[in-house]
This record gives sequence, structure tokens and C-alpha cells, in this order.
Amino acid sequence: MSRSKTVGPKLFDRDGVAYVTLSLIALFCAIPFLWVILSSFDGNASLFLRWPSPWTLNNYIGIFVREGGARWFFNSFLVVGTATAIVLLFSGLGGYALSRMKVWWKRPFLYLIILIRVIPPPALIVPLYKILLTGNDAVGSLVRSLVSPESVRPVMQVFGLIDGYLGMILVFAAMQLPLALWIMKTYFDTIPHDYEEAALVDGANLFQRIRLVITPLALPGLAAAGLFAFISAWGDFLMPLILVSSSELQMLPLGLFRAFLRVQQIDYGFLSALAILYMLPAVIAFGFARRYFIQTFSGGVKA
Amino acid sequence: MATSPREKSWQLQLLLLPCVLLLGALVIYPALYSIYLSLTNASLVGVAATHPRFVGMRNYFRLFADAEFWNSLVITFWFVVGSAVIGQFVLGLTSAVLLRRPLRFKNLFNSIILLPNAVPEVVAGFIWISMLAGGEHSTLNRIFGVLGIPPVRWLEQLPLLMIVIANTWRGIASAMILMMAGLSSVPPEVLEAARIDGASPRQIFRFVTLPLIMPTIFLYMLVSTVTTISIFGFVYALTRGGPGNATEIVGVYIYNQSFTAFQLGYGAAVAVVTLLVSVAIGLVYVRALKVQV
Repeated sequence: MSRSKTVGPKLFDRDGVAYVTLSLIALFCAIPFLWVILSSFDGNASLFLRWPSPWTLNNYIGIFVREGGARWFFNSFLVVGTATAIVLLFSGLGGYALSRMKVWWKRPFLYLIILIRVIPPPALIVPLYKILLTGNDAVGSLVRSLVSPESVRPVMQVFGLIDGYLGMILVFAAMQLPLALWIMKTYFDTIPHDYEEAALVDGANLFQRIRLVITPLALPGLAAAGLFAFISAWGDFLMPLILVSSSELQMLPLGLFRAFLRVQQIDYGFLSALAILYMLPAVIAFGFARRYFIQTFSGGVKA
Repeated sequence: MATSPREKSWQLQLLLLPCVLLLGALVIYPALYSIYLSLTNASLVGVAATHPRFVGMRNYFRLFADAEFWNSLVITFWFVVGSAVIGQFVLGLTSAVLLRRPLRFKNLFNSIILLPNAVPEVVAGFIWISMLAGGEHSTLNRIFGVLGIPPVRWLEQLPLLMIVIANTWRGIASAMILMMAGLSSVPPEVLEAARIDGASPRQIFRFVTLPLIMPTIFLYMLVSTVTTISIFGFVYALTRGGPGNATEIVGVYIYNQSFTAFQLGYGAAVAVVTLLVSVAIGLVYVRALKVQV
């Protein structure tokens, strides 16, 4: 009540400490961005922080004119977008089923999902690569028996499991699915069964119930699941590194990484501009995802 | 027309089928297959690529005698402790506590601290390469130059500390968000009661708030430990494990063994050990969550 009167000066001190501390943490977070932003507009960018001279947009234009930047964006959006769509479909249906079903293996299955979530992706790359290689050979011989020899390569770029869109999409979807499934399951747990029961009484079949009742109810949960799947897959570097080799399928993280490896002639302006454009979709998605963030940690636990 | 309970249960299991198939084929089967691979001399090139031989526990014997493997485990340990357990947690909790005050620019602070978390791995690595470059013109050396400290070749002289700091930078936000949620679940009446009893803010935090958010802290520690063990792209882009193998965390080690040295069988053995460590942490996690069914 008399807070402002009695603790006035002291409160100011404590707020002062808060401002200083927060400013230091914020500086720590912000300073690394300075260089990448400035050098992306710098006509003579170098590895070091400096004021751009001359200011230019050529770095950004160069991504699309000189390099295959448009292709990298297209590939990233195609692969990550399709994988996210699959994650949404599968986790929506699966999460609903997990929330509503009463079978003996439900609890073991949920435990399994948590255990899958702790598997480090680097621990999976070796077996995953071998398995996809075997699968790729099978797809290859199937494709060769179906299409003319000259169109084998383009078809394999789409349906191949190694160095093909399909392989990337499936792997990305599988990596993002456990978290999405978990989010959807806990989300459906909070939705009362009444609506579905009503639809059931009205004689709606499963397909109608999903389309007309469950999907509209699930939208907020799907938004969270989809955003996290997108952000995580968009930023992933490991899977493209292992699964993609041909330049037509190059995705943004690899384009950036490989451009940096041209030791003799690293174009820092170009790299910075590419880095900025590459991180924009993730930053925007993250802005939307912020309020759902807590769901990635808590599963069953009220955090 | 009404659907019988039995039919309904059958339908529900059908809805789960796509998830089971995808996870089974691309997560569970590979995880089990890695155990088999680790018992062979499978390779990316040569005869062993097409006709791997069963070699029993040889990869594991080699593994436990391999100083580089132990080195990568030790480095991973310090990487996790330094960045997830200490760096991100301390800065995240501090930010969360301070941002509960009615400060000006609160949203600005909040957004800036969240920003690094949204940056893709490779971009983060790229940004920190410039930040930590040697020579007197690099960003960090300029800042320290103002304080009169001579230039340091950060990534060569203090490599492990640098990836710890850079990874702390990436993860303050996740700690902060979780701690904010934990703090907001502390009932205000409890804090008010402690205040009336004459407790100082420091005492209130130490003896009231902290015990109440302990479950959240525990949850954070589990999740962040597991996710930090999983890191690959960020460190690979920043140092590729070097100089020497001073920053070769286990993810980078597996990649280097499997795809640079082409020894898939040996890489799989490392993967199995990593998998076991993570699953052990995961089991604690499962117990802690007490899954609601």
C-alpha cells in the first residue's frame, strides 16, 4: 500500500540493477547480429565488423542472380513445407487417437514417444543412411523398370530416398513427429468429448467427425505443432548434409555452409545476406510460436 | 447407425497407424539397426561397404581403448554442464525473474533475448565465426580492446569455452521461457504471506520461490541436457570439431568417424553408447513426468 512512499528510493535501486543486468544480457544476445546485418549491406564486407562502405543491396541481389539462391529457397520451402504438412496430418490424427483410445499399450506407447524424443539425431545418421541406401536401391530398380533410361535421374531426384526430395521429406517428418504427436495428444486431452459424442449420436461417421468436428477444434494445437516442426526442420543442417549431394537439391543450410568453404574466395557480403534471408522465416515463425513454447517442455506436467 | 465402442477403438488405432509406420521405419528401426551395425565392420567404401562382416564386440573394444572417444565424451560433458546447466540456466532464470518486474522496455528486452533461439544452426555458427575471429579487428577483440586487453585468437586458444559461450547465447531463451512459466505458477498469496512475515526479497526467493519452481528446474535440466547432447550442426559449422579435436562433441565425433573416416560400423558403436546415455536420461524424464494417460 505504502510501497511507493517507504521503499521509493530503494525500489529505484533495485530496478536500476534490473535494468543494468537485463541490458547486459540483451547486449550479449544482440551483438553477434551486428556484423551479419551490417556486412550484408556492405559492398566490401570482410570477416570483421565495420560500417558498410559503400552501402549496397548487391549482396542480396547476387544471391538470386549470380548463385542458385532461388533454387535453395525453393528446395528448403518444398522439403520443410511438405514435411510439416505430413507432420500436421499424422500428428493430428495420431494425437486424437492417443488422447481418446483406451488400450493396454497406450501408456507404453506414450513412454516410447518420450524415449524417441531423447534420441540424439547424430546417433541415428549411420543406420538411417544405410537403411535409406537400401531403400533407394529398391526404388531405383523399380523406377528403371518403369521409365525410359534418360528420365531415371529426374524421377529419382523426386522419389529417391538418398539425394531425392522424398527421402528428405520423410526423414524431416519422422524427426519432427514425436514432439508434434505429444503436443496434439496433450491438446486433445483438454478438449471435452461432448462435441464428438453429439456428432456420433447424429450418426456422423469417422471421416465426417474428423472433418467437421475434430479438425476445427484442433486448429490451435495444430498451429503450435506445425510451427515447431517448421522451425526445427528449417534450421536443421545434419540431415541435408548427409542425404543430399547433387546441386539441384541443395537446401539453404548447405548452400550457406558450402559457400563458406570456398576458402580462397569467401564473399562475406553474399554469405551475410544469405544468412539473413535464411533466418527470416525462422524468426517470423518463432514470433508466432512464442506463446506455445511451453508445450515443448511440459508433457503432462504443469510447468 | 451408432458406432459400437469396439469399432470406435479399432478406428482410433487405425488413425495412429501412419505415425507408427513412419516412426517405426525411420526412428525405431534405425535405432535397433545401429546395434547390429555396431557389431560389423560396415564401411562407406571398399569391400566392407557391400559385404560387411560380423566382428562381434571388436568395435566396442576399440572404442573403449580410443582416447579420441573418451575425449569427445569429456568435451560433451563440459559442453552440457557449461552451456545448458550453468550458462543458459543462470542467465535464463535471471532474465525471467527480472522481467517479472514492471519495467520499461520489457517487451524489447524479451524479444532481444528470444532472438538467438530462432536462428538456424548454420547461421549461428557463421555469426560466431566472425564474433570470435582472431586479429585485432574481430568484434570480440574490439570490445576487449576498449578495456585494454590484447587480441586473443579465441577459437584457437579457448575453443571449448567459446563453444560453451556461443551455445549459451543460443539457449538463454528456452530457459527463460520455461522459468517464466514456473515463476508465474507460484501463488501470489504465498509470496504475500512471506512478505508480511517480514522476509526479505532475497529470503523469499531462496526459501519460497525456489523450492516451488524446483520441479520446473528439474524438467528444464532433463530436457536441456538431452537436447544439448544432440547438438551437431551449430558446432560443426563453427569449428568442425577443431582445432585438433578440442571441440569434438559426440555428435561431431560420430559424423567424423562415419562420414569422414567412412567407418560406419565404428560410428554406429559410438552412436549406440550415446543412445544408451540419452535413453538413461530419458527414463528419468519419463519417471519425472508421470505421464498422464
